[in-house]
Amino acid sequence: MNPYIMSIFLLGLGLGTTITFMSSHWLLAWMGLEINTLAIIPLMAQHHHPRSVEASTKYFLTQATAAAMILFASSTNAWITGQWDINELSHPMSSTIMMLGLALKIGLAPLHTWLPEVLQGLDLTTGLIMSTWQKLAPFSLLMQMNLNNSVMITMAIMSTMIGGWGGLNQTQLRKILAYSSIAHIGWMILVLQFSPSLTLITLMIYIFMTLSIFCLFKMNKTTSINSLAMSWSKSPTITALSPLILLSLGGLPPLTGFGPKWMILSELTKQDLNMIATITALSALLSLYFYLRLSYAMTLTLSPNTTPITNQWRFNTKQPTIHLSISTMLSLMLLPLLPGIMTIIN
Amino acid sequence: MTYLMFLLLMGLIFGLIAVASNPSPYFAALGLVVVAGMGCGVMVSFGGPFLSLVLFLIYLGGMLVVFAYSAALAAEPYPESWGNWSVAVYGALYLMGVILVLFYFYGGWYESSWVPVDELSGLSMFRGDMSGVALMYSSGGWVLVISAWVLLLTLFVVLELTRGLSRGTLRVV
Repeated sequence: MNPYIMSIFLLGLGLGTTITFMSSHWLLAWMGLEINTLAIIPLMAQHHHPRSVEASTKYFLTQATAAAMILFASSTNAWITGQWDINELSHPMSSTIMMLGLALKIGLAPLHTWLPEVLQGLDLTTGLIMSTWQKLAPFSLLMQMNLNNSVMITMAIMSTMIGGWGGLNQTQLRKILAYSSIAHIGWMILVLQFSPSLTLITLMIYIFMTLSIFCLFKMNKTTSINSLAMSWSKSPTITALSPLILLSLGGLPPLTGFGPKWMILSELTKQDLNMIATITALSALLSLYFYLRLSYAMTLTLSPNTTPITNQWRFNTKQPTIHLSISTMLSLMLLPLLPGIMTIIN
Repeated sequence: MTYLMFLLLMGLIFGLIAVASNPSPYFAALGLVVVAGMGCGVMVSFGGPFLSLVLFLIYLGGMLVVFAYSAALAAEPYPESWGNWSVAVYGALYLMGVILVLFYFYGGWYESSWVPVDELSGLSMFRGDMSGVALMYSSGGWVLVISAWVLLLTLFVVLELTRGLSRGTLRVV
């Protein structure tokens, strides 16, 4: 793609999210979301092969539907109550439709089905943008709304469970990452109405972990478990660290990913939602299984191939690795700083 | 006036069913044209003639392109219309859905939603749509700038998606 055109699209991507962030009016928020969707579509289809075009078509259709639902809900609310403010979305029907629209935008189960399909058709960089940056604008709207309790908790629990179950039998890394994204978003939405700042922290930490895992896969040029198993010879440090990153995504104690889950479970028990906390904690085990399987394939075992033929040759990587190293450090070692982060964000 | 409104809303619903019931592409495009026309008529009846005119011109321009393009791409010897079973079944289903919703919302949404904007004309100096246009050029100037930028961005998006003979994948052949 021409760099000038590319910079216009990246600018549009930033502009859309910024407009949604700074608006207090639903129409402007909707405009920001639309700019966001429009700007990323050519980036998704930039390699012009049928899979990426199919992915961008699917993305366009779902996002257009979601944006239409958002516009419909906000204008219905304005019609009934005369308010365009984001905080004043008070009518139950429009608030529910709005939440469904935003859930379709971020890929919350049961409206998640587009996410694995779309992510599978993209290259890893665009997939990274898709699963991090594109979540920010809908989340900023969700955090400002008056929410419908039961619908939200139902969708959140369904999302954590479907995120775990869906990823179990996948062999494609991008689909696994999509299901991991669905499960994490379920956690974030679950705690949204009790403690929005906790949602923000979870989103931030999820973004760090996703950044490091996408950069890792990109550096190793792997898109399936098969090629992941063969990529252990490329960089020993990365090979040693990658199970830790994966387990941090899964939420094991000494790693960063444990922090948000810990805080969310503690918040849920403070709200007397012990049953929901138990179910969610158990559903994290489902996700843990496929993270563990990825780390097993990459690091903990040698693949049963004849070594001289399939081993990859080791070169010094030409790619910039600074963001990989920073995000890896953040996603491994941030847990001791969690009280500080909580204090700053609260 | 109520009869005209009734007719327009009916045309709107049937046009939407014509799009959604999955007929051949150019009947769907025809349904879209009907929906656009009827929607603009509804807006005139609600008291927004200027907005309706603008929307009608823009929609008609876009719809003509879509209509010509889909008719050229998907010309078939035996097009499926409402006479075919598959389409007719979908159409009947949607119609039943509309009737159900109508029964459910009968009290609240039936005539009370047909109040035109001009009910308030005694209270304000301008009509609703005209004052909105004036606002867009005065205090809403930045929104206008952003809208213009979005149009430019859309142009780039479309050009980038369809550029090149060999690279473009949005084509049938």
